[in-house]
Parts: sequence; structure tokens; C-alpha cells
Amino acid sequence: MPAPVVGQTPSLTTFLKSLKHSPIETSIELLISLLRRRQISHSRPCALATAHLLLRVVAAERLKPTTDSTVAALRLIERIRDVGRRLVAAQPREMAVGNIVRRVLGVVREVVEEQGDGGEESSGGGSEPMSPLAPAVPQDLRPRPRTPGDATPPNFDGPSDIAVNSRRPALASSTSYAGQGPQSTSLLSFLEHPLGRSPTATPSTPGTPSRKSTQDKQEKLDIKAEVIDGIKELLDELEVVDTQIAESALEHIHSGETILTHGSSQTVQKFLTTAARKRKFTVVHAEGWPNDHEATHATIVNGGGGTGIEDEKWKPLTSMGVTVILIPDTAIFALMSRINKVLISPHIVLANGSLLAAAGTSTIALAAQAHSVPVVVLAGVYKLSPVYPFDTQELIEYGDPSKVVGFEEGEFVEGVDVGNPVLDFVETETVGLFVTNLGGCARGYLYRVVADHYRGEDVDLSAAAAPNGKTVA
Amino acid sequence: MSAPLPAQEQAKAEEQKLSPAELKKRAKAEKQARRAAQKGGQEQDGDVGASATAPNGVNGDSNTTKHDSGATQQQHAQKPKGEKQQKGQQQQKHGRQGAQEVESHHKRTGSQSQPLPIRRRPSQSGAPPVVQKPAPKKINKQVELFSHLYTQPRRQSIEGVSKDIHPAVLALGFQMSSYEICGSSARCVAMLLAFKEAIQAYTTPAGTSLARHLTSHYLSPQIDFLKSCRPISESMGNAIRWLKKLIVEIDPDTSEQDAKDDLCERIDTFIRERITVTDQAIATSACQQIKDGSVVLTYAKSSIVERTILEAHTNGTKFRVIVVDSRPLFEGKSLATSLMHAGLEVEYLPYSAISHAVKQATLVLLGAHSMLSNGRLQSRVGTASVAMQAAKSDIPVIVCCESVKFSGKVALDSIVLNEVAPAEELLLPSQSASAKPAKEDTSEDAEAKPKSLSDWKDIANLQILNLMYDVTPAEYIRMVICEYGSLPPSSVPVVHRLANEGM
Repeated sequence: MPAPVVGQTPSLTTFLKSLKHSPIETSIELLISLLRRRQISHSRPCALATAHLLLRVVAAERLKPTTDSTVAALRLIERIRDVGRRLVAAQPREMAVGNIVRRVLGVVREVVEEQGDGGEESSGGGSEPMSPLAPAVPQDLRPRPRTPGDATPPNFDGPSDIAVNSRRPALASSTSYAGQGPQSTSLLSFLEHPLGRSPTATPSTPGTPSRKSTQDKQEKLDIKAEVIDGIKELLDELEVVDTQIAESALEHIHSGETILTHGSSQTVQKFLTTAARKRKFTVVHAEGWPNDHEATHATIVNGGGGTGIEDEKWKPLTSMGVTVILIPDTAIFALMSRINKVLISPHIVLANGSLLAAAGTSTIALAAQAHSVPVVVLAGVYKLSPVYPFDTQELIEYGDPSKVVGFEEGEFVEGVDVGNPVLDFVETETVGLFVTNLGGCARGYLYRVVADHYRGEDVDLSAAAAPNGKTVA
Repeated sequence: MSAPLPAQEQAKAEEQKLSPAELKKRAKAEKQARRAAQKGGQEQDGDVGASATAPNGVNGDSNTTKHDSGATQQQHAQKPKGEKQQKGQQQQKHGRQGAQEVESHHKRTGSQSQPLPIRRRPSQSGAPPVVQKPAPKKINKQVELFSHLYTQPRRQSIEGVSKDIHPAVLALGFQMSSYEICGSSARCVAMLLAFKEAIQAYTTPAGTSLARHLTSHYLSPQIDFLKSCRPISESMGNAIRWLKKLIVEIDPDTSEQDAKDDLCERIDTFIRERITVTDQAIATSACQQIKDGSVVLTYAKSSIVERTILEAHTNGTKFRVIVVDSRPLFEGKSLATSLMHAGLEVEYLPYSAISHAVKQATLVLLGAHSMLSNGRLQSRVGTASVAMQAAKSDIPVIVCCESVKFSGKVALDSIVLNEVAPAEELLLPSQSASAKPAKEDTSEDAEAKPKSLSDWKDIANLQILNLMYDVTPAEYIRMVICEYGSLPPSSVPVVHRLANEGM
């Protein structure tokens, strides 16, 4: 994550401030230019900015009172898709933007489907007492209407299938998959059960319209209100995602371990800090020259946090009694034989479990594989992208070459081709375990988690809008 | 920067640094010395005088090649010391060290002035006759895993150096500790050239023979001094072993000047045969691996690789070079520069971009610090990852290495055999970017609220590790090219025996 913002440099913070009082179209353009200029970069800031912007977009959308709910929803979807396309086109490699757009689209579709067959389902779901343990109920890719007929074995462990079949049991069963269900908040589940918010969720609309009062007008309002609620849930999720990941730290780090990490990821820092409260271990920290070493040094010396808007700061690991050994990236192979675990926080996890991560990660992952050291990938669900890597080269972003050789060395820069890739493509085979905010999962299961969070129709954002029948029917 | 190790700890470190082989060598040297001493007690006087006067005399014409800057500094420092050295040294020491250190030092200087050969031994065996530069490494600043490698801080100043050390050697020592002369072959050649001068400046004391006295009493302190500047490389070790053997074999009947001339000539031949011509042969052989359209990937800088690439370029092959480089030495930059000047198409990538470099490459050429007997390659830290990435993508990894760098040692990991460089090298020049004089600038920055990495000594539990080498597994290496031909890594011990032990 970027270093703390100073002054009025355009950034996530300034963007969010300006969002409140500028017209929606201006905000969209502003975000597009910020993304283009890389003034908002890295997954989390991008995700936050996108979610906030889409919240405004939805709020600003005027749905004609006469239109029926499906038409309104379609218009909303079209609008979000359109904004999403523009954002993604501005910076295709920040896939978190696309992920958030897809999830918001999923929210809208969800709301529509809820209302479509609201009759039976809501009466069943809404009347039941809400359990405070409402974990993430990932959504199935299949359109809802088919579900009643689906023969899903009741004791099948896949949470989504159960979720589709009968919703209430799914909440309980999916905890096992999530590993830490109580804290997980997935907006989708709450949309289905508006009263079932977990304590951590924002109390966005206390009087969430119940589906029982389904007058036409009310319904139209509902769509917007519920979508906004959904986006707020999403924002909540983004807020707590690192904390949720960190909660499983003690399941992965034992005392006396030597852990290698790389770069200045706040997710990893939080994870390690959480573990450091209870256990003593050693951290070998590769600095990530040339793109990330300054931030890494700052993180090691001063601790993490304080980068985003509402992030809390926390102490450096060294002050918690954890020995931190800073090494240049070159020494990774030399030390790997003594490392117990490698922690990586990628920029994006692709659908097949391969990663886009800071440059140098591929070397770490391969070295770890060569020494049979498990690689643990820490990634919030918002980093899971439904994009399948067909052409890995085009996913790679190249950065400022002056970080490698300064432009003051004119002759050198003139005569030598200096490159500075910012990202690395890491094969999924090198990854041992994914830890998301829903818990840990193996790479073989990852596709399922991805599928649970995105609608099939939304995977390709650039495609023309799906025909009406498909989405709503 | 750094402040003194406690005296005992330092002494211990001195001891640890010696490998069993070295211990044996040392014991032998001592024995020899004792015998020499018994033969003629009084010669010591003459010896001391000779070596004391030698420095200034030779200084002028020495160091014509690379040593210039060092040598001139050297002169300044040396002159005032000339006569008063003893006194000055003692005073300095009184200032800094504990009583113990002073006492031991008294012994040493005393022995230099008095004809008491036996008491001289402490200085010539193992411990360089030296007081360390202040270097207060807090214990917790040393990475536990590598504690065996933190022997002593590198010598950065002339202070406390024995007057026996020849100025050419002195200059070389500082050039090595500051990486001005860097690279296994370059250091080896530079050392041999310095030794040539030192040998010419040497006079055998009366009552002993050159063959018996030169190595143990004259060369050993020089070698120890070099070691104190930076641990010596495998090639230097091989060259030293060869030189010592040569000296022992000198016919006692030859006159001193003849013997010295002969030695110098043999050294020249050694440099020519084992390094210069060898490099040429390796380059000629290795450049055949570069075909039209090849993309050659190399890491950091190796003189042989540079030569190979340049030769292939001269031969008219059309190819491209990718140089991967790393902090803190940036050796690849000078390689890229020289290739650029030769008119090659060069791409320069940071270390983080290996995976991208490997994607384009068709051939990886690596230099070596040393080839170990189990076929593993010891080279600049980071080489192993490059070789690994290349091997995983099925790109041939070829090591160019003179047989003088082949070693009898074996290693499985990069931890036992290695060198730890000062951690300060990894600190960024200054947080505020522009100014060069690192120390003051960073300390100013540190006063500003957030701490910077340059305060690392004050931050408990924070350690910085700056390794020099790593060991590349043999399975990543497709071929080793040396002057005996191209071989698989498993043949390294054969060539080592042939080249370094069979002489």
C-alpha cells in the first residue's frame, strides 16, 4: 500500500472527500483519471474508491416511479456496467475495480431475484428468527428460479448449494467452510435476509423494507435502497477484511517459526502482528527493491497502518518482541532453507489460483517450492478475480524505470533499455494455501469461492448487456 | 558507524575465523618459525629494519595499475608513522582499548623492536597484528543463523596496521574492503601483483633462508592483513597455496635476488596462464553458445561473462543481452555500461524482474566466486534465484569459471560458507533522496518524527542481513566452462584435483 498521503496530492482520501459534493459524472471522471495516473493504486484503495463511487452512482440514479421493478433494475445494472466498463478500461490491471463492479452488479441481480420470487421465499426466510451467526452465504452462479427444482443433497458440504436449496441451514453449514463464520460478513447473504446482519455490519437502514409489504411503489424504492445497503455491506467488508484475515493468524503461525514475507503489505503486517500478540517468532522480510523497498523499510521501522482513511495504526513487529531480519531480495534463496513459511499478499488472485503480486514474488514462490516451504497467500475475497489468465504477459504492469536507474545517469538511460515490471505472475502450483476473510482454502477449491461471489453474467464486463430474460427470468 | 568489539570477543572471533585447514597451516607455520628462530636469533633485528624501511622505498613505483588512489592515501598516512609508529600506535590504543588490549599490544611492538623471535609469534600467526577499528555491534544486531560469519568488522582504516605490511598490500586491502577491486579473479590478480612488489621489497634476514623465512614471517602477515580487510576468495586461497608451495621449493643455493626474480616471473606466468589466457580460452569457448538471435541473461557482473559477450559481439553474432542487477553493489550497471559502449543491445532489469527476464532469455551466463566440489556454484548473492528461474523454464544455465576458482570445499546451503558484508551498505543513501553524504543526512531525517531505517541500531529486534554469496544447487547448472573444456558440475572435483592440487 502506498505511503501515507501528504498534503493535497490526489489520492484515495481526497477522492473520497470530493465524492461528497461533486456531481456524479465529475466523480467518475476524477476516479478514471486517478486510476490512469496511478494516484489510486493497489487493490484495496481501488476497491474502496470503486465501491464508494458506485454507491453514489446508485444513489444518484433516478428510477421513474412508473417503471416496474425489473425494468428499473435492468437500468441500474446497465448504468453500473457502463460506469464499471469505463473504470476498468481506465486501468485494466487493477482488477479489484472490476471485482467490485461485478459484486455490485451481483447485488442488484440478487435484489431483483429476491423480489421476483419474493412471495414464497421471503415468507419462509423473513419470518425465521435471525441468527447472529450469519456468515457469508456465497451466491450460486445459477439463476435463482431454477433452484427449487434442483436436487441438492442436503448434506453436501458446498455451502452455496445448500444455500440455494434451503437457506437457513446453509448459514450453519457454511461456517465449517468459512472457518470463522461469525465474523464474516458477505453482503449477499444479508441482502437475502435483511435482518440478519452481523453485529459488525453497519446499521444502514434499520427499517429495511420487508418483503411482505410489496406494494408497487415500495418495491421500486426497495431496489435502490437495498442495493445501497448491499454496497454498504461491501464497504464494511472491505473495511474489516484485513482484520478478519488476521483472525486466523494463530491457526497458521506457531512459536519459534521463521516466516518470510516480502514488500510492505498491510494485510501481512496485520496478520503477523496478530500472531505476535500471542507468540514469538522470527520474520525475515525481503525489501522488494526497487518498487517497494522504501515502504517496506518504513513498515518495518514504524509499523503499519495509517495509509487508508480509517485505518488504525499499529506498532512495528519489532516492538512486540518479534525479531525482524531485513534482507535484500537477493538473499531469499540463500535463506529459504531455514524458512518455515512464506506469507504473500498478492494484488489479485485469478480464477485458477494463480497470483498477480509484487515483482519478485514469483522468485520467492519458486524458491519456496524448491525447498518445500509452504506458501500461504493472504487475500481478501475482493481480490479474487473471476478472470482466467490466458495471456499472463498482458496482465503485467510496468512501472517507473527511474526507480531502477535515475534519469541523472543520462548516458546509461539513453543507451540501455531499463525496465521495471511492477507485478509478477505466480503460478498456482507454487501456492500451498489461500487464507481469505472467509477462512482458509486450498487452491483446488478456490474456483468455487470465486464462483460464489460473482454472477456468470457479470464475468465479462465488456460484453453487451445480457438479454433481459436471462437476468431476471 | 561502528565501535570496538570488546577485546576478548574480538580475540575469540579471530580464533573462530580459522578453519581446521587454516589451523593446521598455522601450526605448520609456527613450527617453521620456531625452527627458523632457533637457527638464528639475532636476524630478527635485520628483518624488522628491512621491512620497516621497505614501505616508503617501494611505494613510489608500486601501484601503477589500479592501486593509485589507495597508494597515495597510503603514503600520507605512512610517512608520519614511519619513525614514531610504535609510540603512536600505543597511544591510540591507550585511548580506545581496555588494558588487556594494550598489554597484548605491548607484547607485539616489543617483539618487533627486540630480538625475541618467540614472542613475535602472536603477531604472525592468525591474528593480524592489528587493533580493530571500533565497531560496537550490539549482539542482537547479528543474525543468529550467521553468527559464525561475523568475525570482525572490515578494516577501513590504516590505524594499527603492522609496519610489516607492504604498502601495495595495504592499498589493495582497502581497495578490496571498499569493493574497488571486486570479483574473485580481479582480487586474485591484484593480490599476486601486490605480492610481487612485496617480494621484491623483501630482504632475507641473515642466518635464515628465503625459502624458510619468506612465507611465514613476511607473507603471512600480508595475507592476514588482506583477510582483515575482507575474507579472501577461493581463487586467492588457491593462489596463496600455490605461491607458498613455490617458495618452499626454491633451491636454497640460488641467490636471494635470483630467487625473488624467479618468484616474480613465476607469479606473472601464473597470472597469465591461470587467469588471463584462461579467460580468453573460456570466452572463446563460451561465446560459441551464443547464437544469432540469442538473448543472453546475466546477473551482476563477471569479467569472464563480459569478455564472452564482447567476444561474441566482435565475432559478429547478433544477439541481445539482459543484465539483471541488485542492491547494494549494482555491479551489473558497470557491465551494462561497458556492453552498451561496445554497441550491444542491452536491457537492464532490477532483481525483482527475474521472472520477466527469464521469459525472454535463451541462455543464462553466470560468473562464479567459486565452484564447490559437490558441483554447486558459489557466486554473488542472488545468483541461485536466477539459475533457479532459468532452470525451471528450461533455459540452459552456463557457468564460466577458471579452474583457479575451483574449490575442494563442499557446501549444501549458503549459510555455512559465506561472507556477511556490513549491513550499513543496505541503508538507503538518504531518505530525502538527493544528498550523498549518507551519515549526516539520515541522522537529520531521523529527528523528524518517523524513524528511518538508518536508526536500525537503536531498534531492538531489528536486524539487517547483507550476505555476499549464495550457493546454487548443481541441478540448476547445465554446464561449467573452464579452460579444460565444458563439463557438467559433477566434474568439478576432478578438475580441481588436476588444476589446483596436481601441480
